Amino acid sequence: MNKPRWYLPITIVFLFLGIMLSLQFQAQTRYANDLTLQKTENLIAMVRGLSEKRQKLALEIIDLSNQLRSQLESSQDEQKLLESIQLETEKLEIVNGTVEHKGPGITVTIEDYMPIYYTDILNILNELWNAGAEAISINEHRVTSHTTISSVKINLNTERNPLSEDFYMPYITVNHRVVEYPIVMKAIGDPNNLEKALTFPGGIMDKLALFDTYPVITKMEELIIPADQSSHIHFFVSEYKPEEEEASKNNADSKKENNAKNTNAKNTNAKDSNTLRLEKTRTKLIPINPNKKP
Amino acid sequence: MRKAIPTFLIICILTGFLLAFQFTTQNKNASFNAVSQRNNNLITIIHDLEKEIANQEDQIEAMRAQLNDLQSTHSKGKLQDLQTTLAKAKVEAGLTPVVGKGIIITIDDNQEGMKANPNDDPNKYIVHDEHLLNLVNELRIGSAEAIAINGHRLITTSEIRCVGNLINVDMSRVAPPYEIRAIGSPKLMIESISMGKLAELENDNYPITIEESEHLVIPAYRGDLQFKYTNKS
Repeated sequence: MNKPRWYLPITIVFLFLGIMLSLQFQAQTRYANDLTLQKTENLIAMVRGLSEKRQKLALEIIDLSNQLRSQLESSQDEQKLLESIQLETEKLEIVNGTVEHKGPGITVTIEDYMPIYYTDILNILNELWNAGAEAISINEHRVTSHTTISSVKINLNTERNPLSEDFYMPYITVNHRVVEYPIVMKAIGDPNNLEKALTFPGGIMDKLALFDTYPVITKMEELIIPADQSSHIHFFVSEYKPEEEEASKNNADSKKENNAKNTNAKNTNAKDSNTLRLEKTRTKLIPINPNKKP
Repeated sequence: MRKAIPTFLIICILTGFLLAFQFTTQNKNASFNAVSQRNNNLITIIHDLEKEIANQEDQIEAMRAQLNDLQSTHSKGKLQDLQTTLAKAKVEAGLTPVVGKGIIITIDDNQEGMKANPNDDPNKYIVHDEHLLNLVNELRIGSAEAIAINGHRLITTSEIRCVGNLINVDMSRVAPPYEIRAIGSPKLMIESISMGKLAELENDNYPITIEESEHLVIPAYRGDLQFKYTNKS
């Protein structure tokens, strides 16, 4: 007799319970993925970064329009055109690291007793680029878009100084070559910005401090960054010209084949001359002789 | 009826407990909302800036393309040499779109893992800037010749960096899934990444696909090349 009266309240209560539990879970699983859920300080950092970027882009647009103008007026004024090409070449030299550069900036020095992993170096580079570094080097290596950073284990047990057993020591490599201590990273840019980017609370220096690594940061009024010594040969990349592709697509099949043959022929020619040069660089690059003391 | 009273009591207490709990979390949410109200201004600014930057980048892209066209037609005498070296340097620097053989890697956040462990730290399931940074380095070890993440070409000065938990490539927000395109020898690149970060990510059950392509197009760098401090020595 009692049972039917029981059912209703219990059902209601459990229903509520279920709803609340699910609400609870929802509140907890939701995680921030868009701007509305970011912290204020992060938003401020984004605004700052984006404003700087906008400013630089505006300057770039001015540069480009000047270049375009001098290009268009080249028939009258060849000198102007030369100057504009010179300016563009200088910018590209900085990006490609083809010549030695100087300027103010900071150095980050890591001594051999400081534990460091190659990913730390990657992170430091990343922070420096983010802080507006314009050119960076690690010891004698200019950092470019081809620079690789890795590590290798070297056996320190050699004939010259024998150890009781094999002792492998990790070394950091840049462009497949061991970098010797002290590792000195030089970066050209605003010294204050660059320093802050590394030392801000919770930044990379704080993270390294957890491992008892305290790289030495020095602000410099002028430092010299070497040119990139390694040669880069592009085997796979070629410039993409959408108009040409469309044209060849629209053409008859036979023409297409001809085009393909032509480009193939060109490519193989280019490759032949390049392979020789590559062979030379490869042998130079073969990185580490494990028996040699670094 | 008598028997029912203690049971009822327990249920009431439980409900009360939950209600209180619910209210506290709702209060927290309310204060959070207040913060995001204040943040709304900042978000509007960010959206405006991003729109403007997108416009500027379009403009730069168009101007660079126009400049390239002009420079390839105007070739006579001593200018010709200068312009051929310039054209090469542009390809090297990443100012031109490029095409070639390569691979496309896509990585997404591990959403299934996140759903399966809702109380776990979501940071364990999302792709971080460091993952991408390491992947890019490994692709370079595998002799990648040109790399782009979600359509953003990487050049020497490019950075991949978290602000909060949003990944920015050169201050442009990129969202998962991340598509990394790399031109180079597919074999070398896959070998290089599968010994490193990718294996780690696969172990952690992130959804990853690798696709080889004979004809991969990577866009040009659309950002600035403004250098204030660097001089030729």
